[in-house]
Amino acid sequence: MTLILGILEEGFIYAVMALGVYITYKILDFPDLSVDSTFPLGAAFTASAILAGVHPALTLFLSFLAGALAGCVTGFIHVKLKVRDLLSGIIVMTGLYSLNLRIAGGRANVPIFTQETIFENRFLTDHIPETVSPYTVVIILFIIAMICKILLDLYLNTRSGYLLRAVGDNESLVTSLAKDKGMVKIVGLAIANGFAALAGSIYCQHKGFFEISVGTGTIVIGLASVIIGIQLLTPENGTSLFSRLFKKELRPTTAVIAGSIIYKACISIAISMGMEANDLKLITSILFLIILVVSTERRKKVKAHA
Amino acid sequence: MKKTMKTLILAAMAVSLLTGCSGTSGSGQTEGSKAPETVSANTPEADGTSAQADESQASSDNTADVADDKSYTIGIGQFASHGSLDNCREGFLQGLAEEGIVEGQNLTVLYENSQADGGIASQIVTNFASQKVDLICGIATPMAQSAYGIGRKQNIPVIYTAVTDPVAAELANEDGTPVGEITGTSDKLPVTQQLQMIRTMLPDAKVIGIMFTTSEVNSLSAIEEYKAAAGDYGFEIVDIGISTTADVPLAADSLLEKVDCVTNLTDNTVVASLPVILDKAAKKNIPVFGSEIEQVKIGCLAAMGLDYIDLGKQTGRMAAAVLKGEKKASEMSFEIIEEAAFYGNTKVAENLGITIPEDLTSSAKELFTEISQ
Repeated sequence: MTLILGILEEGFIYAVMALGVYITYKILDFPDLSVDSTFPLGAAFTASAILAGVHPALTLFLSFLAGALAGCVTGFIHVKLKVRDLLSGIIVMTGLYSLNLRIAGGRANVPIFTQETIFENRFLTDHIPETVSPYTVVIILFIIAMICKILLDLYLNTRSGYLLRAVGDNESLVTSLAKDKGMVKIVGLAIANGFAALAGSIYCQHKGFFEISVGTGTIVIGLASVIIGIQLLTPENGTSLFSRLFKKELRPTTAVIAGSIIYKACISIAISMGMEANDLKLITSILFLIILVVSTERRKKVKAHA
Repeated sequence: MKKTMKTLILAAMAVSLLTGCSGTSGSGQTEGSKAPETVSANTPEADGTSAQADESQASSDNTADVADDKSYTIGIGQFASHGSLDNCREGFLQGLAEEGIVEGQNLTVLYENSQADGGIASQIVTNFASQKVDLICGIATPMAQSAYGIGRKQNIPVIYTAVTDPVAAELANEDGTPVGEITGTSDKLPVTQQLQMIRTMLPDAKVIGIMFTTSEVNSLSAIEEYKAAAGDYGFEIVDIGISTTADVPLAADSLLEKVDCVTNLTDNTVVASLPVILDKAAKKNIPVFGSEIEQVKIGCLAAMGLDYIDLGKQTGRMAAAVLKGEKKASEMSFEIIEEAAFYGNTKVAENLGITIPEDLTSSAKELFTEISQ
């Protein structure tokens, strides 16, 4: 039971970040590496803010804004300074590493065990009955992930959201509508990195400390979640596994959250089977490759039939 | 139909991949790794198999032990692999054994290493919690913090070791008492004893150089301490900060211009690139002092260092007290090793044209006569 709760907790935290990666990787078709640094940015910011007496719930919003700002910078470097997409992400990622350490007060490790967080505060201890208490963390995380998902779904159905999707599919369409496609990209990157920083903020409050190494490989987790979720559970490439099993389609955002949980479950099972942390990255990359290869093959076939 | 086949093959490939990499332990686990939903049913199995992976062949006769004597399951999470931390773990098990809790007899050890990945560290601890361990041992600061983060929610006591500054890590209060069900040992450097030793070996030296990684909290507090104490022994400290391994060669060149000797902290990045520094220092005939035995072995002149095996043993005894229910973790303050031991390398001394003074060699815990690679 604890194992499942643990998987769900980790899964929901990273799902928020994966929603961001979904925007950049799947919608904008932009390989955004800055997530690797905006995730710890959210964590560093949260640790410092909570120590400075800011309300824990408020830090979630502020972290989102901080991440969005960083995303704007990536977008600005790419769109206005005409640096290639991959490079602009790398530039922001490298620069933010130093900045994150600065934000955390020059320390690579900031504990907040003794402070109140969204998971541990007087309100919760007063109002939550004993029997529910093991599940409060999961419930809170579920609510946050759902809010993020619903907001993103709503946003993607607005005028600005449609433009965002259009930029990824067909840039010239956006230009022909007399809209600035660069601006749309910047907005997309801002939202994506906002989600990453928000996830970092939740992560920091969940674990009770900030550590500079938490950002390493965030993008890999994000991509894995998106690819697993989208390829296995959505109808994008013909019929999906999910629709064949349940005769129903999933929204891509829901699929991403499910993908994040599946990914974390795989890692968790791998660890409890006694696999060494050394091998985990290799396994992840091979799983990646298999899913990608199989799915592109499917896509080719769908095209051939059309 | 074809697609269903393909998906099934994909799943099968993934499963065989996962099982294949975990060696022999995974053979009975194939069903467990197919879908997350089946995990709960398999948890006891998973428990057994990972214990086997830890070379304890006793998990099968565990049930027999439970009947007569109390048996324990503990999870040891280690943040990274390097000599000192490995020694801690070894010592920890020895310490437990001294108290009659022997791995393979009445103790099942689940051991995981996060290879310096913070995300994996917390997941390792979550797994320990799900396997209902009686105690979690966290080796090195980030692992100790992860363990406490989970342990306090699940009511699992945590014992840590190799945490340099438990107070700064918020694992202990200012007066040394624990913040919760967590206690352990600190590997704080014996700074004054090291300075004393350097003074004895190099009576004329004035400036000591220290290289450190700006992002390592432990190094920062050690440097502060060196600076505060250096004056008492007539030294001046010159420090140089680096941010990655790639900075080491340039920083070493610049540092070696300014100093009479170099001393090392337990800074992970610097220690990992120690051979580069040793090589450059040897060319300029500048002695480099270490902070523990492993560094002296590979070519530091000498060190007043902690014996990490002893540190581990001390930690193991504390863990035994908690397991047996003699004391609660929250009732024990964290401990440090007061007495540092001298380690020297006579081959290095010979190369530098220095003789290690008699009173140091006579009290040496270990003297190396060659430089191991």
